[in-house]
Amino acid sequence: MRTKLSDCLQAVNDVLLGKDQQVRLALTCVLAKGHLLIEDLPGMGKTTLSHALAKVLGLGFQRIQFTSDLLPGDILGTSVFDKNSGQFVFHPGPIFSELVLADEINRATPKSQSALLEAMEEGQVTIEGATRPLPDPFFVIATQNPISSGGTFILPDSQLDRFLMRLSLGYPAKAAERALLLGESRRDILPRMSTVLDREALSLLQDQVAHVRVSDALVDYVLRLVEATRTQPQFALGLSPRASLALLGASRAWALLEGRDYVIPEDVQAVLPAVVAHRLRERTDQGAGNGSGALVRWLLTEVPAI
Amino acid sequence: MSKKPAMEQAIPRASLTWLLVAQFLVILPHLGHLPLWISALWIACAYWRIQVYRMRARFPSALVKAALMVGTIAGVYLSRGGLVGLDAAVVLLVAAFILKLVEVRTRRDALVLIYLGFFTVLTRYLFDSEILTAAFSLLPVAGLLSALVGLQHSGVVVRPWSTLKLAMTLMLQAVPLMLVLFLFFPRLGPLWSLPQPSERGVTGLSDSMAPGEIAELSRSGGLAFRASFDDPVPARNQLYWRALTFDRFDGRRWTQTPQGFAAASPDWQAVGDPVRYSVIMERSAKPWLFALDVAQSDDDAIRRKSDFRLERTRPVERTFFYRATSWIDARLEPESPSAAVRRALQLPATGEPRARGWAQELRRQYSDDRALAEAVLRQFREQPYVYTLRPPTLEGDAIDAFLFDTRRGFCEHYAGAMTFVLRAANIPARVVTGYQGGELNTAGNYLQVRQFDAHAWVEYWIEGAGWVRADPTFQVAPDRIERGLEEAVSGEQSFLEGDPFSPLRYRHLGWINTLRLQWDELNYGWQRWVLDYQAEQQGSFLQRIMGHSDKTTLIGIVLLGGLVVLGALAIWIIKPWRRRLAPLDRAFSQFERLLQKEGVQRLPAEGPRTYAARAAQALPAAANEIRGFSRAYEQQCYETDDAHTQPLSDALRALRRSLGKGATR
Amino acid sequence: MATPGRSSRWDRWLASRIRPENPTRLTQQRIYILPTLEGVAFGCVLVVMLLAAINYQNSLAYGLTFLLAAVLFISVLHTYRNMVGLVLSAANSPPVFAGDVASFRIHLDGAGRARRAIVTGWQAAPTQTAPASSHTVDVEHDALVPADLSREALTRGRFRPGRLRVESRFPLGLIKAWSWVDLDLATLVYPRPVEGDLPLDVHTGSEKEAGAQSPVLSMGVDDFQGLRRYQPGDSKRRLHWKAYSRGQGLLVKDFAAAGGQDVILDFDALAGAIEPRLSLLCYWVLELSGRQQTFALRLPGEYIAADVGDAHRDRCLRVLALHGVQA
Repeated sequence: MRTKLSDCLQAVNDVLLGKDQQVRLALTCVLAKGHLLIEDLPGMGKTTLSHALAKVLGLGFQRIQFTSDLLPGDILGTSVFDKNSGQFVFHPGPIFSELVLADEINRATPKSQSALLEAMEEGQVTIEGATRPLPDPFFVIATQNPISSGGTFILPDSQLDRFLMRLSLGYPAKAAERALLLGESRRDILPRMSTVLDREALSLLQDQVAHVRVSDALVDYVLRLVEATRTQPQFALGLSPRASLALLGASRAWALLEGRDYVIPEDVQAVLPAVVAHRLRERTDQGAGNGSGALVRWLLTEVPAI
Repeated sequence: MSKKPAMEQAIPRASLTWLLVAQFLVILPHLGHLPLWISALWIACAYWRIQVYRMRARFPSALVKAALMVGTIAGVYLSRGGLVGLDAAVVLLVAAFILKLVEVRTRRDALVLIYLGFFTVLTRYLFDSEILTAAFSLLPVAGLLSALVGLQHSGVVVRPWSTLKLAMTLMLQAVPLMLVLFLFFPRLGPLWSLPQPSERGVTGLSDSMAPGEIAELSRSGGLAFRASFDDPVPARNQLYWRALTFDRFDGRRWTQTPQGFAAASPDWQAVGDPVRYSVIMERSAKPWLFALDVAQSDDDAIRRKSDFRLERTRPVERTFFYRATSWIDARLEPESPSAAVRRALQLPATGEPRARGWAQELRRQYSDDRALAEAVLRQFREQPYVYTLRPPTLEGDAIDAFLFDTRRGFCEHYAGAMTFVLRAANIPARVVTGYQGGELNTAGNYLQVRQFDAHAWVEYWIEGAGWVRADPTFQVAPDRIERGLEEAVSGEQSFLEGDPFSPLRYRHLGWINTLRLQWDELNYGWQRWVLDYQAEQQGSFLQRIMGHSDKTTLIGIVLLGGLVVLGALAIWIIKPWRRRLAPLDRAFSQFERLLQKEGVQRLPAEGPRTYAARAAQALPAAANEIRGFSRAYEQQCYETDDAHTQPLSDALRALRRSLGKGATR
Repeated sequence: MATPGRSSRWDRWLASRIRPENPTRLTQQRIYILPTLEGVAFGCVLVVMLLAAINYQNSLAYGLTFLLAAVLFISVLHTYRNMVGLVLSAANSPPVFAGDVASFRIHLDGAGRARRAIVTGWQAAPTQTAPASSHTVDVEHDALVPADLSREALTRGRFRPGRLRVESRFPLGLIKAWSWVDLDLATLVYPRPVEGDLPLDVHTGSEKEAGAQSPVLSMGVDDFQGLRRYQPGDSKRRLHWKAYSRGQGLLVKDFAAAGGQDVILDFDALAGAIEPRLSLLCYWVLELSGRQQTFALRLPGEYIAADVGDAHRDRCLRVLALHGVQA
């Protein structure tokens, strides 16, 4: 099992060069059964990452390009009158697949956004009175452009909270970019990638995540972190219990990926930025104005790990 | 929003509830000896206070309060015939406790009420210190403590049961400390005299004897005293507990010559081995004690009078514990006749002609005094005399009538008649009253002596032999002496006939008797180890465990023992070990200190693995050991459920060795 | 009471013992325990009971007295346990205007043990006009319970309300355990806004005509914008009494003046003492922000460029609050 995991990592890393840490976090997110939000400028490899993940995990893959005129029906599906049978027949939308890539989610109207996000939360969709379950596993990778780009609808806090992690890929290192330029086109490699994990193996791994041991000492560390966000003055609002659960779940998955069956503080620290950065707000009147990144850095340097 | 000082705030509901409950429990045991109107007053006041709480009535005005106060004081005066004395004081206290309830508005008032309540509980003990009373009094104390807890501003006190639970917890945890204080707090004598509980009809021997009086006393199953012997209990027919001697006869009633036995201790000769025993005497309101012949006590407050009885300087107003040593076969005043012997010949000038005649006749027959006395006893044995609890009433020459006509009587008839006859024959004789026999509680190895064991017998004086005991009752009813009153009067069904529910009547039912004896044993232990635990008992207890006893030792033990108990309770209550995995933390901080000395300081948020990796890089010589410790720590702290410190201390030792080597190199 | 000299020495001693620390865990070294007045009274009752026990030579009376004495001792342990290990931390407190009541949120963390009736309040409040608040809370064993304490902020700048006193008398009220805690509480106090006219310094090139016509930025009469809800600090003269009499609540007639021009709020352009000047500026910062108008702020040694919005307003207020008070 372990070797399969590292094979997965290797396969994705081969496609997305120099993004080892982000690939690892993305895989962690899948193992922890959470949804992933990737925030970056266009052309940084967001789509490549999600394609590659779908491929190695052997998941059915659909892509939805969010635009300002996208309607909820375009995501969920619609019923169409069939002349032959004389009945309405439901045509499932792209959301009925195991891995959904929701591209540029912040370009759609809040109505369409919430159609997707509610489906993510409940694992099922209700269309025209009928409740239809989504496939299992169900995993959403959403991408969005940084908020400053024009013509966007910012995701509200409550919806951001539904993503387990928020990643940003960033520019590749020089060496990686050189390899990218000299190497084969990514679009050509992708179809040739082979599946490393199948559905059963993935769900087995996800079960294993739940059994990764968390000691009292570690829970105390997580509690210290959460409490700091609730009591320290620079935090406008503290982390919710959902956030602390997410943090612990992601740490477990990370530990499994590291080949351990117990969590250590370093695991928590590794996933902390991705898990909590999008859930924190800084107080404006404190004057620093460095955004949530500074808050996460503060957590990582000031909260005692032991 | 201006806040009132905490003490001025209204009482929370929980506290008020507990106050009412506790007050009921405090007053309940007092009801028996309180005037009836007090109960009515309590019901009225409680109802009033509840109505005030429900906002349906108002607090009493100053005028009403004053009127209530005056009325209550007048009521106490009328029903107790005065305001002085313990009884009236307690009634006043209870009345104040009740009246205070109506005007309880603030927390301070509630506090006053609670403190009054504690004191009222205490006053109950002055009248009644039975084991059940003591057990019951824990209830009002718990109620009062609950009310005290209920005054706090906390969410827990809203629920009455959790308030009670907390109060009970406090009481339970207080028990060990209380025991230390109880056992070792130095006992002092009374600092000043206080009014004692007033005389209540105490049954027991009186200081005179007339026919029928002891028979009357024998209808009572009340406990007179308990005695426990250090050695085996002497034979039953040896157990003559002397209380009083009567040397004056006025034709009807036997009494003591006033100041007659005030003289110094008479001479006596010890014969045989002494018998040692301790006695716990019930309240008798009389100064005389009960002892076998010839008794002697080390207690300064106990003196032996010239008629060989023991007497205390003060009346026995509460149960009293004393030790005595007796020589059962001793000779009493064997030598020259003293004033006491001379007084033992007194007779009324006239009356009882037939008895006097019989005495003269005997005197003529027997020149030897002892033979004459034997003849009198033989008369009782051989003639049809009847031992009965229902003797006929006799008028006029009572002894004549008894000796020659009715021939039915109880012990005092026989003892009185025999003494009269001996005196008439010029032999010094006197009546002795006391108790005879007792019931042996085999489980506790002690003797219970009850009122129906009261007895009267005769002592006559013979030159050389001293006072000789003669028991005419034994001649008539040997069972009375050998087996007790119940057997002796079993024919006439008169045993305890006034008291059909007394468990003593059902002694023949095995299990009731067992229960009764066990209950009595419990009471005996209670009496002996709790109620009588005063200076003397404390001294001997200390003597037994420490080898010596003085006040300094006691104070030392109280302080030391109190501290030890408090310390143990502190550990138990505060549970300082509740800090998680403290040994692991300690090991890790040692690890940190070691590396710090080498210049590698851990950042506050650095995890163990990162820190170890950094340190291993900085100190390549000890890299393996550093990683080894970090692995062990990780394992114990994060991987396993049951953490052990051994691997950590092993790894630390290895690291220390390796670092030390690096330094010497 | 204590002379000033003594109390300041006492303060110095306390300050040397109690360092600012956030969060603070109550440890054995900083918890003080004494009987309360009620506890002393209880002790007196016990003495009386003991005298009765001695004089009547009554073992049960001894027993009851000792039981209650033991309960008193045990309650010391319970009271101490109720306090020890309690963790207090201060959250951020929102800024206020001078003269308002600043509220501070304290978090109490049971740290693994349930705490009952913990009273938090200020250590001392000698010069308070408003009553210093205190707060009684129960803390469940793993809960984080907030307690809001308020104190009047009298002067502009950084307001430090000082040490807290944490006290508990649970369970019997006979023993009190307390501790002084310095959580380094602080909040920003803006100047009190005071309404008034302001000499206008117009930023743009069109200042000539505007300046010539109206040298003062006042509540313009030129451009009626509408009605808005009354806020403290609004002029009474502009209340819309008609609407009030119709039961629509307190409304204020809002006029815009010098529309479309950026204004500079300049400290040096004002006359008078420092504080009234800052109060006036504060008023105008609020006023202009309320109208969504762009403005700049100039103080000696400080300049905030023209901008609009809540962040801009907060920055300006902050500068006004801290003007001349920061080292």
